[in-house]
This record gives sequence, C-alpha cells and structure tokens, in this order.
Amino acid sequence: MENSIVLKNITKEFKVLNRHEGLKGSIRDLFSRDYKTVTAVDNVSLEIKKGEIVGYLGPNGAGKSTTIKIMTGILKPTSGEIMVNGKTPWEDRTSNCEKIGVVFGQRSQLWWSLPLVESFKLLKDIYMIEDKNYNDMLDFYASIVDLEPLLHKPVRQMSLGQRTLSDILASFLHSPEVVFLDEPTIGLDVAMKSNIRDLIAAINEQKNTTVILTTHDMGDVDALCKRIVIIDKGKMLYDNDMEHLKKVFGSYRTLSLRIRSSQMTDDFITSLEERFSPYGISISTENNWVSLVINEDRIKVMDVLSGVQENGSIKDMKLEEISTEEVIKRIYTEGI
Amino acid sequence: MSKMRKYLALTRAGIIEELGFRLATIVMIFGNIIYLTVIYFLWRSIFASSPTPVVNGMTFESTLIYLVLATAIFNFMEMYTVWEMGRNVQSGKIVLDLVRPMEYRSYLFWSYTGPTIMQFLTTFIPTFIIVECVTKAIPLGINLLYFIISIILAVMINYSIDFMVGTICLYSESIWGINIMKQVIVLLFSGATIPLAFFPEGLAKVASVLPFKAVYDGPLSILLMNSPEICDVLPILELQAFWAVMLYLLSVGFWKISLRQITVNGG
Repeated sequence: MENSIVLKNITKEFKVLNRHEGLKGSIRDLFSRDYKTVTAVDNVSLEIKKGEIVGYLGPNGAGKSTTIKIMTGILKPTSGEIMVNGKTPWEDRTSNCEKIGVVFGQRSQLWWSLPLVESFKLLKDIYMIEDKNYNDMLDFYASIVDLEPLLHKPVRQMSLGQRTLSDILASFLHSPEVVFLDEPTIGLDVAMKSNIRDLIAAINEQKNTTVILTTHDMGDVDALCKRIVIIDKGKMLYDNDMEHLKKVFGSYRTLSLRIRSSQMTDDFITSLEERFSPYGISISTENNWVSLVINEDRIKVMDVLSGVQENGSIKDMKLEEISTEEVIKRIYTEGI
Repeated sequence: MSKMRKYLALTRAGIIEELGFRLATIVMIFGNIIYLTVIYFLWRSIFASSPTPVVNGMTFESTLIYLVLATAIFNFMEMYTVWEMGRNVQSGKIVLDLVRPMEYRSYLFWSYTGPTIMQFLTTFIPTFIIVECVTKAIPLGINLLYFIISIILAVMINYSIDFMVGTICLYSESIWGINIMKQVIVLLFSGATIPLAFFPEGLAKVASVLPFKAVYDGPLSILLMNSPEICDVLPILELQAFWAVMLYLLSVGFWKISLRQITVNGG
C-alpha cells in the first residue's frame, strides 16, 4: 500500500528568548539577544500508510502539536525530509491544505454565528467540492449521524459535543487524504465520545482516509487505533501495533485489593512499597482499594497476595489485564 | 472564475453573518449620532469664534458635511483587522486559518468584504441620503461613479495598512497599543478627524506624502466635486492606485517574511 505520510529524520528547533525574572529582568529582555535553542521534535522518522488510523501519543509538551504543524505545512522543519500525499507540505502549503483536514478539539473551524449548513456551503466553495460529491457526502453523513437537527443550528448555540461532531464532519467534507484530529474527544461525555469514535471509524472505513489522532484518552486509542506512535521530549519512544504493545506488557497484571478501612494507613502503604518495589511493582491507592501492577515474570500474583495478607486483611479483590492507560504510563515514565 | 467563487463565498458568508447582528448595527448608528452631535457643536464654536464665515477655504456647512461623511466612511472601512489578527495569533486560532487552501491575506480580506458591504449599505448610504436631503450640497452626477472607484481603492489601501500593522502582532504580543496607535495616525493624517485644509503647513506636507490621505480625503474630495472632468479626478485616483499597489506589495512581502520567521523560529 502506498504511503500517505513519510517523515525522515525530522528535527524542529525553536529559538526561545531566555526570560529573566522581575521588572528589571523584563526590561532587560526587551533588548536581550540571549536565545536558547529548544528541540521540539528530535530526529523523528515515520511512515504512515494510506487508510491507517494512527494514535499519536505523548505527554503534554512532548512535541505532538509541533509534528502535526509540520505535517500540515504551517511549520518548516529545521532538518529532515517530509512528504504528505507525495508533496512537501511547507513548500506547497496551499495545495497541501486542499488535501488535508484538521480538527483541534479546543477550537472550532466553523463560522461561529452561521448555521452549520452555511459553514458547509462555504467549505464547499473554498475547497471547490463538486456538487455531486458534496451531496453524496451529506447523504453519507446523514446515514451515520442524526444530521438534520444540527444543520440549521448556529454553531455558537451548539453544545460542545455537537460542535465537535460538526467540526469533524466539516474536516472530512472535502474528502481529504489525511485528517489530523487533535484531542477530538476532550471534554465530552461518555456517550458523545463513543458517538465520535464510531463516526471516525465509519468515515475511515468508507473513505479510506488516513487519520492521525492525538489524544490523552486511551478509550479513543483502544476503539480506533491499530497502531500507535509515542513521543516524548521530541524523541520517538515507540512505533508499533497495539497488539505488539499488549504482548510486551502481556505478563503484567493489575491486582486490586480492598483493604479493611482501619488498616489503610500510610504506614501500611509504605510497608507494601518497601516490600514490593524490588520486584518493580507500582502501587496506587483509591479509597480503600490498593492497585498493584505486577510483572508476573518477576513475582507471582499469589506471592504478592499472601505478602499483603500478612499485614492487612483483604475484603475484596480484582485481577485485571493491564490497561492501555497503564501501558502508556509505563512507557512515559520508564521507556520500553 | 471558479477561483473567484471561493472568495465570493466568503463575502456571502460575511453578509449572512452580519445580518445576524442587527442589534450591533443599531447600537453603532446610535453611537454615531452622539459623535456627530459633538462634532456639530465643536465646529460651530470654532466657526463662531472666527471673524469670517470661511475658514481655510471651508464653510461651516462644508466642514460638517465633510466630517459626517468621513465618519460614515470610517464605519465601513474600519473592520478591526488588527484586533482580529492579534487575537487569532494570541489564541492560536490562526493555525486553523492557515490550513485553509488559500493565502491568509486574501482569506481575511474576502472574509471582511461581506461586513464591509453591509456596513456600507446600512450606515454610509443612509448617512449620504440624509446629508443630501438636508443640505443638497452633494452633487449627484459623474462624481458618484468616480467616488465608487475611489472608495474601492481606499478599502484596498486601508486593508493593506491594517494587514501590515496586524502582521506586527506576530512579533509583539500587545495588540491594544499597536491598534490604538494605528487608529490615531490613520484618522489624523487621512483627514477623517480634522479636514486636511485645516492642517498647518508643515503637518499638511507630512500628510501629503503619507498614504493615509488616499483613504479618506481622496474619496471625499471626489464626492464633493461638482461634475468633475476626468482630469480633475485623475490625479487623486492615480495617487490612490499608486498607494494601493505599493502597500499591497509591501504588506504581502512583510507577511511572507514574517510568516517564514515564525515557521522557522516557532510561535
């Protein structure tokens, strides 16, 4: 299958003014030439095939947005090669923009005071969409979401969920080759999140659109992405299938135990931490529950269980496969 | 032609959007009435203190007509481009405008044409009709046609100036000061607050070499001409065309350089 996006050793450096504190410092900054270089994206290489949905993950400030801005042609990389749909985006910004769609979860690209249908008509003219394609697309949308009540509502009167939904529809309207979704489900309720995920999956399947999804919601990743790319501090940490990730962390289990409330003391937790940290177990607590992420290659669940029981009485227990969230957290903090 | 369509679509959307804000239009008309009342009394006292009814070649009536029309032009000319650009840069919304498949400058310009046309129809035309009915001082003839050409050039010049000032917002995070400074300079040197005829010689010279004159004084002079010959209006239109082209090139160039700066050094 052809590649939709290719990044080769992309690096992006920013020059940032060294700011000084206080009034005096601020005045000095006015004349200061004292810049430091910050590497936002550090030697990232990536190939994304047409029709893939890739989860692009990383903690805040990892360089995700910068990479996306490079892929949309807004930023020019300091070094490295980039091709989107066979073109270099920063050289051919306008023509690149015809073939991509963008959704930033916290902002709307729609015309605030216009009814949605007017925004759509405007996009139709801006992207020069043929009448037939436009009508087909609206029919297709109507078949997957309840479009009619949205169409005649001004965007400013919409709920956040409706607005996000509309924004996503707008970004796919001109049948782009690639769509960048930046935290599309941020701030939405559970039902709306699931609607949005279904919508993205349906359009991707129907139109074979490549989707780059950045999110902090592992539910999005589980529902949509077969492949994930993780970056942190500008460096790529992981790029592989979800399956592979699960396999690597396959020997991990999360053991949750409910402890008698009188025994849930800081001393108790400290004693657990002292005892199990040599085995790489991470411990977190919530109400009367203690969660232990256990690597079974290093210590058996049964041993942990009896170890806990020596100091406290267990009222209830749960044993779970490691969640994607936990996996990502581990990669962020420890690497793979 | 199809290329034109995407720009006209922006004009159309702007008109529809503008129609949604009826209250804002009413408030603005009301604000103008207050402003014009102040102007009326101010200039009446200026003329009352003068020994002759004609000051600097202008009568009280012609001064007032000039200023009323200047205010009306200001209303549709001022599109708060600088605010908008500054706000978009600060909030990062500009990213969404930059991923549109057209140049940002054209995108913004055509987005403004809708409101401009609406303001022209709802504030300039009524003002014009009222002034005409009350004073019968505006000649109705070929000058109107020249005026239309002149006002379109003025809109283009004004937009280029605004766009250039707005571009500064890419560097500076303070929009407010820049915008106020721009407004004061443009309104003063264009003759919108005080007719250029009243300027002392030195200041008049400065004003004559600056482009701002072409924004208000140019179209207004043409409008108040009685059945002008083409040779009467040509110098004004030529000057306007010169500035329109110059400032267009300058603003495009400045934007390109600035955008490169931003895309290279981040923002």
